[in-house]
Amino acid sequence: MRSRELRVVLRKDLAELFASRAFWLLLLFTGLIAGQSFISAVELYAEASGIDGGAPALAQGLSPLDGILSPTLGAYDLAIMLLFPFVAIRLVAAEKSSQALKLVLQWPVSLRAQLASKLVALVIAWLLALVAFGVALVLWTSYGGHLDAGETLNLLMGYTLRFLLTMSLAMAAAAAMPGAANAAVVVLAFTIGTWALDFLATGRGGWIETLASYTPASALRTFERGLLRADVVAVLLLLTLALLVLTAIWLHPAKPPRHAIAQTLATLAMTLALCALASRLHASADLAEDRRNSFADADVRALERIDAPLAITLRLAAEDPRMNDFEREVLVKLRRAMRVTVRYPYAGRSGLFDNDPRYGTIEYHLAGRDAVSRSTTPDIVLETIYGLARVPMPPRGEPSYPGYPLAKHARGAAVVFYALWPLSVLLAARGAGRSRRTG
Amino acid sequence: MTDPLLSARGVTAVRGRRTILDRVAFHVLPHEILGVIGPNGAGKTTLFECIAGLQPVSFGLIDGAGPRQLFYVPDAIRPWPDQTVRWTLEVTADVYGVNVDDALVAQLDLARLQTQFVRSLSKGEVKRLNIALGLVTPQPMLFLDEPFDGLDLRQTRAVMELLRATVDRGRTLVLSIHQLADAARICDRLLLLHDGRAVAEGTLAELRDVACLPGADIEEVFLALT
Repeated sequence: MRSRELRVVLRKDLAELFASRAFWLLLLFTGLIAGQSFISAVELYAEASGIDGGAPALAQGLSPLDGILSPTLGAYDLAIMLLFPFVAIRLVAAEKSSQALKLVLQWPVSLRAQLASKLVALVIAWLLALVAFGVALVLWTSYGGHLDAGETLNLLMGYTLRFLLTMSLAMAAAAAMPGAANAAVVVLAFTIGTWALDFLATGRGGWIETLASYTPASALRTFERGLLRADVVAVLLLLTLALLVLTAIWLHPAKPPRHAIAQTLATLAMTLALCALASRLHASADLAEDRRNSFADADVRALERIDAPLAITLRLAAEDPRMNDFEREVLVKLRRAMRVTVRYPYAGRSGLFDNDPRYGTIEYHLAGRDAVSRSTTPDIVLETIYGLARVPMPPRGEPSYPGYPLAKHARGAAVVFYALWPLSVLLAARGAGRSRRTG
Repeated sequence: MTDPLLSARGVTAVRGRRTILDRVAFHVLPHEILGVIGPNGAGKTTLFECIAGLQPVSFGLIDGAGPRQLFYVPDAIRPWPDQTVRWTLEVTADVYGVNVDDALVAQLDLARLQTQFVRSLSKGEVKRLNIALGLVTPQPMLFLDEPFDGLDLRQTRAVMELLRATVDRGRTLVLSIHQLADAARICDRLLLLHDGRAVAEGTLAELRDVACLPGADIEEVFLALT
């Protein structure tokens, strides 16, 4: 296959994308909600930095990752869940319903290449939608705000992986289901299903928590913490690829349904096996500038020297705020430094009506020795582990993250996002419509 | 006999418990217009889509089919309704690395419609666009499903002239035709399908022999054989 054919197919898919009113509406609303999120975030950040004369919050606690980047990109999460799937579904379903698909499938371009072209067109749509985020970053730096390249790119990668997964799901649904409305129901049902899984799995441990850690929302939380985990990236990419394979299986009308079902089951089984393997990848990188996913370097070195695995029994219910603290402040960091297994005896129970005196305790077992504590404070947990491992506590330096307070209002942002952005989108949509007529 | 461009043997298409095509056999000769005729539900469209690789064939062999050998234009499609007629023609021509022939556009009376969106075209206009899409492609065989459906008498005659000229230039056409009079007027040979089976294949004279109706017109032959 030559590049000319591929270029024609991509040109066709882009023309179809730009001919879709849904796309221009998506662009309009994504910019508006991203702008609104950005303005709110900057104002809140300014308040926390003491703009109204109050005492500034601890400077160390002020991170643009939490204060500006995550809330602004949060608007894109809504767009990925609720707007983009319709654009992706349209790109596939419109050719099915107009039967243009029957012409396209005879072209000298493989189905794989045609699907790749649609995905490229959707990525271009994603990049265009991200222009609003880019504008927000420019405004933020123009106010004097700080940005760290590593955590910003990591966050963007997380959102892009989530986007690719949702788009491939939308394409697969459009290929397999009769009609765009049915495909939309499948995509929304999947999203709601993953929310339910997240909710059910919290604090349960075991396979269900492992499974839930790869739902789009959970995966995104990892990136929002500035953590780049090889297993999360691999699982998201494998799922995206599997959904594209399913799209190819169901899109071609010449495939007998029995074969399509058999190939679907084989694809799902293979994906499950590969995802199980990928979930064993432990490589990760803490790209948060404040190194929130890592203990101090001295502690990491000391923990890495402990050969024996650590077993923890966490007697806390999922709703207990101490559980969340322990997960975020201790377990995430421990897992990056040593082998840890965790048991959750209170999985699925509220703990409110239990008279178990051991509720709230955390048991540690290491190298044949045991310790019990109720603290979820990282320093005390580390002290307990060093005690069990008979390792002296390493000397620690002062935390090096300075924090980046910024007491500035979001000046000019309202004009940019509420006036210039809609105007630009409307003009671009009009220009695209005119160029379609004139060729 | 000239070697056929395409030979189908025992082509069977089963959908659920229904047999749509039952051991259909026929061949397509170079530079001919073969008309596939038959009552509604005879399996004409299924046969075309099986040959074009757009529907599964349950059993049987098709020699000479493939995307390099033939292009199939389905009936009742409205491709890319949000694009213009010109865009639709150009994108099809570009994918094959050929140019849109303006004479062809004029002959199909599409010149004045080039900036119109496909969604705004009438049934006859879409039909002419679809014929143009088929004629733009370079494959030696072109399968057209109901090419005259939705066209008025003048347009039907103009399209017939155009199709005949296409065959004279070396292309081979296979047409599914509902109107028997149209089929008799343009086709060199006919394939009569009934209930998913190929009842007869040949020139009109040969079909008359099969029906034992010398001198009968196509409608009488059709009624006798179906």
